Amino acid sequence: MPKVFITGVGFITSIGNDAAAVGDSLRVLRHGIVRYPPFDKPEVPVKVAAPVREFQTDAEDPEDWTLPTRYRVRREVLRSMGPGSLYAWCAMQQAVADAKLAEVDVSDDGTGLYAASAGSPGILTRHVNRMHEQGVMRCPPLGIVASIAGTVQFNLVAHFKIKGASTGFSSACASSSHAAGFAFDEIALGRQRRMFVVGAEDGNVETILPFAGMRALSLNPDPDTASRPFDVARDGFVGTGGATVLVLESEDEVRRRGVTPYCEIAGWGQASDGHNVAISHPEGAGLAAAMCRALVAARVTAADLDHINAHATSTPIGDISECKALHAVLGAEAGRVAVSSTKALTGHGLSLAGAMETGFCALALRNGFIPGSAHIRQLDPAAAGLNIPRETRPIAPRVVLNNSSGFGGANVCLVLKRA
Amino acid sequence: MSEPAPHHPAAKPASGGDTEAALRDSLKRCSSATVEAALAYRRRRDPDLLPSIIIGIVERYVESDLRAKLVEGDDDVRLMEDLGVDSLTMMEIVMLVEEVVGMQINNDELRDLRTLGDVKTFIDCKARGLPLPKPSKFLPIEGIVAVMPISPPFLFLNEARVGSTGATAKYRITGQEFFLQGHFKDNPVMPASMMLEALGQLGVLYLLEGHPPADPGKMVGPGTIFFTSCEGVRCHRVCKPGDVLTLGIKPKRTKMPLATFEGSIRVGQEKAVVAEEITLTYGYIELPQAQPAVGETANGGAVNEPIPFKPAVNG
Repeated sequence: MPKVFITGVGFITSIGNDAAAVGDSLRVLRHGIVRYPPFDKPEVPVKVAAPVREFQTDAEDPEDWTLPTRYRVRREVLRSMGPGSLYAWCAMQQAVADAKLAEVDVSDDGTGLYAASAGSPGILTRHVNRMHEQGVMRCPPLGIVASIAGTVQFNLVAHFKIKGASTGFSSACASSSHAAGFAFDEIALGRQRRMFVVGAEDGNVETILPFAGMRALSLNPDPDTASRPFDVARDGFVGTGGATVLVLESEDEVRRRGVTPYCEIAGWGQASDGHNVAISHPEGAGLAAAMCRALVAARVTAADLDHINAHATSTPIGDISECKALHAVLGAEAGRVAVSSTKALTGHGLSLAGAMETGFCALALRNGFIPGSAHIRQLDPAAAGLNIPRETRPIAPRVVLNNSSGFGGANVCLVLKRA
Repeated sequence: MSEPAPHHPAAKPASGGDTEAALRDSLKRCSSATVEAALAYRRRRDPDLLPSIIIGIVERYVESDLRAKLVEGDDDVRLMEDLGVDSLTMMEIVMLVEEVVGMQINNDELRDLRTLGDVKTFIDCKARGLPLPKPSKFLPIEGIVAVMPISPPFLFLNEARVGSTGATAKYRITGQEFFLQGHFKDNPVMPASMMLEALGQLGVLYLLEGHPPADPGKMVGPGTIFFTSCEGVRCHRVCKPGDVLTLGIKPKRTKMPLATFEGSIRVGQEKAVVAEEITLTYGYIELPQAQPAVGETANGGAVNEPIPFKPAVNG
């Protein structure tokens, strides 16, 4: 099977809108969480979120949105987009440039695109309301395209003229890891030479606040401590949005184009909890199985791992399940392998999380560091025995595992190796 | 909300849509002249206000770098090719026009609206309660050859669109035209006389396809049409092999046996030829017995079969 490499990345995130800024934030553990103005109401118990900067996409009319001047988007492009698609469109431009891809490389039979997002529930809500209030024929013609769950790939595939495989993945917080895993397969099976992997989320009131009803969000109003995976006082996750685009290419293509990859994707694995629609398995059984399968697929063992980028979202139950799964998989290596959660900095990106954190791992592998797990004041006893660095370490990892878990008990793990 | 809004298709704007504030909000991206014209139209229902309202609304949906074409161009400016208005944008334009002008437009009424002039005529007819103009008809080269009394190598129309108010056509100068061997020596340039000939041929096509005689038992005889005169001809641009000529003619006076047209040729947006008057003579002949009368073809003819307007969407 041909090897698969990550050759380009693009980021619109709460901790930076390009790879350089994101890398800096990961090194100095600069978080992107703020008191979020739309939550500043007495009836909203949640106060913080990690919105993307430089963009203003809260207005109902996309033509009222603002974005950094380095991006120019035409109205006919914008009209079919929700905020997440716009972020993805910007991240895609970065990724194409970062991978040094020409237009003919992006738009050829050998290049596909897999994406993940929850769609744009805010836009969907406004369109359905408009349909009821003003009449069926008074709805924007592209309202569906702009809001249903596939909106990110609809837009990117059309606007970047993608000719190869394209689809979307919908496994909630494991979605874009699924996209990366199956994109890896497309290349490993020789079906495609190159795949774009896109994760995106609006990261606004409509995508974040519904999680308050299931008591999953942190009610901590302090941006500096609201997201603290593995801390004993954690009380839920902090929502975020944005987009990440990864460029995956076969080793032949890497050689032909003469580019230097960030890292290799050595393999991946997935398994399901078969337990509860929204609650993690108490022993982390599915996640442990997924980790084992990923290691086997990548032909490595726990002894080869240097770092695990944990899914750990800062919810009381989820982090404990993951700690148990980590102990089960790492065994005697538990005290050595560094485990951290970048969600302390970004909050939880939902469908975006897997691609975004795979991108973080790619930066860490190329630039030689292991991100620390921020905001821990008192470690949860459930995490005892794990090696959880509190600061970013200037150690170049060789093999990294990235974990993601989603609703329905879906677990996806990707193994990345230094190129 | 005090009462539920009606849910049937193309419902009237909700009550708020009738207020001046709501109208101003709907037109917030249009010029102030457009807003004022729309407000005046709401008060007086004067159809003369409609063209500026329509142009103002179309302008709002046209990318800023293409707006110059809208301002500088005439009624022949094409929505799709010149202004980048695709079928989905057209629907957005129609929705705003419906809301502002308070009329209901059906999807199948939109299929023949290709130019700004088409849109203006359409809205004007709707507002005045006049019958809509007969839709223009597209003729590929096979359709042109079938009806014209002229044939290659002396036919200078590749495709044409004929309506009741005029006709447009395209002709690509291939470089293989026999007269280019000598005009000029080692420097092929389309002769001005041939450009006029091409406009005249489009006039012939209009008389045959776009000009129904008052007497339904008769038709314009293809063998009766001849060139008579031309006036005010000006050439602005040298046309060479590879250039695609966009020809247009509009009837100024049509009274048997004379039909006078104004004609123009463009290459892209560049003016190539203007003819203030081209006059042809023509005559009527009896319709062949085997052929159904004109009135019947209009209803049953395959060419004019309505194709329901649908944006090309899937999924």
